[in-house]
Amino acid sequence: MYFARLSCALIFCLLLAGCGNNLLPSESDRRPAVQAGTVGPGVGQSAPDFTVSSSQGVPVSLAAALSGRKGIVLYFTMWCPICDSHMNNMRATVAPLFPEVGFYLVDYVSGSVTDAANAAAVNGYSGGLYTTLADLGQAMLNNYQATMGTTVVIDSSGIVRLNEDYRDGKNLQAALTALP
Amino acid sequence: MNYSMHIFIAAALCAGAATLSPSLAEAGSCCGGGSGGALTVPRYASAVADLSFDSELYDGFWNQNGRHVSDPPGSDLRQYRATVGYAQRFATDWTAGVSLPYAWNDTRYSGLTSKSEVLGDTALTVSYDLFEDKSAWRVYDLKDMAPAVTVGLGLLVPTGISPYDDVGSSFDVTGRGFYRLDGTLLIEKTIQPWSVSLASAYGKYLERAVNREYGKYVEPYHKELGDRFTTSLAVSRSFYIGTGGDTIMTTLSYAYLNEADASYNGKASPDSGFTKQSLGAMLAYSSTDHDWGLRLGWNHAVQQSGWGENFPTTDVYTLGVRYVFR
Repeated sequence: MYFARLSCALIFCLLLAGCGNNLLPSESDRRPAVQAGTVGPGVGQSAPDFTVSSSQGVPVSLAAALSGRKGIVLYFTMWCPICDSHMNNMRATVAPLFPEVGFYLVDYVSGSVTDAANAAAVNGYSGGLYTTLADLGQAMLNNYQATMGTTVVIDSSGIVRLNEDYRDGKNLQAALTALP
Repeated sequence: MNYSMHIFIAAALCAGAATLSPSLAEAGSCCGGGSGGALTVPRYASAVADLSFDSELYDGFWNQNGRHVSDPPGSDLRQYRATVGYAQRFATDWTAGVSLPYAWNDTRYSGLTSKSEVLGDTALTVSYDLFEDKSAWRVYDLKDMAPAVTVGLGLLVPTGISPYDDVGSSFDVTGRGFYRLDGTLLIEKTIQPWSVSLASAYGKYLERAVNREYGKYVEPYHKELGDRFTTSLAVSRSFYIGTGGDTIMTTLSYAYLNEADASYNGKASPDSGFTKQSLGAMLAYSSTDHDWGLRLGWNHAVQQSGWGENFPTTDVYTLGVRYVFR
């Protein structure tokens, strides 16, 4: 009886201490309404502007990235195994279908352009499809409310079309297919 | 990451070596580590209380092709865990236990630092002693070689912070966010002063709804992590100190962890599963009456290609203390 009471008390403490969203997951759609005409990271908003250096030392702005393209993809990476899995999946299954889209890896953990270039090289992502952007100071990370794995699609007019965690590439592919 | 990794986590509470339980250790700051493991209650005891402190140092990862990749220059990624465990024998052959970790993530890159601390995922276990090792001191015939066999069920409760919480950064993640049911098997044979054990677990995550990722609400979907298999093989030798009966036990172990691909709305996501192999060593002291025990453990993921896939390589250092109630 004592053990049963102890177990009940422990489980009750867990319920109190734990996060309700994990213990009792919700499937209600709570996405905020689209705020067209405003600047922000949400779908339908105008994408926040940026100017950062690529790992090759070339300044890249939002306008320059979009120039001559149907859109761009920003993938936020900290060079972890999950990131590597996502980046590899995107390179193999999504990017070849959309040659008119620019693919950017946003490195928000390196403290210098040189570190970003080294990290991209060590992980096998220098040159080729991806351009690595060195988000020194994490301005892009903050403005896009991003973290590891965040994938952002911006169309040619600068509107955010997707901003979510990378899953299996299907949502990304759908968003790119729908680009005007 | 995570996630991390991220995945899992612990013999008594250290990956692979400390208590001869299968490794449950997961990745830390990147992949969601911090869950506790199972405690075993000796047959002569009524309960066990355990407190351990783990320091997990990250140093690169295996990519999805099994190639080992170094962390970015200037990075220093660590997770510290304090885990409280208690297991009670509530019937002759039955025990139940709980393991509750608290995790600190300490993340440093050349351009970013982050610190966070929060509860990890909680492990609840029930186990049944199927067979007893009745001949640990003498072997005269074949039946004396019969090992002790314990089977059990575990439930991982997602009390840690997961990517599906109101959390803005992956650096704050300490849990997977999913319930998991485990079936466990422990086979152990002792012929003093040697002991060999094989501990395995097969776990199935429960599918859940997701409507938020790292604090941002998204179009709701269903996600299920892949089935998880862990096994560890450990060999121990005991040394008796003086004439009082104090014991030093040394253990070497090998642990294997595999988690299959996750699925979204019922469709598998390729390359989301992972594999980890690690080696462990432990030095444990127990008092003459075996009521108190102290252990030092080290679990090492070999930082070479071919020892894992899609998972961080870490070293876990463990200091644990245990008290056995008669």
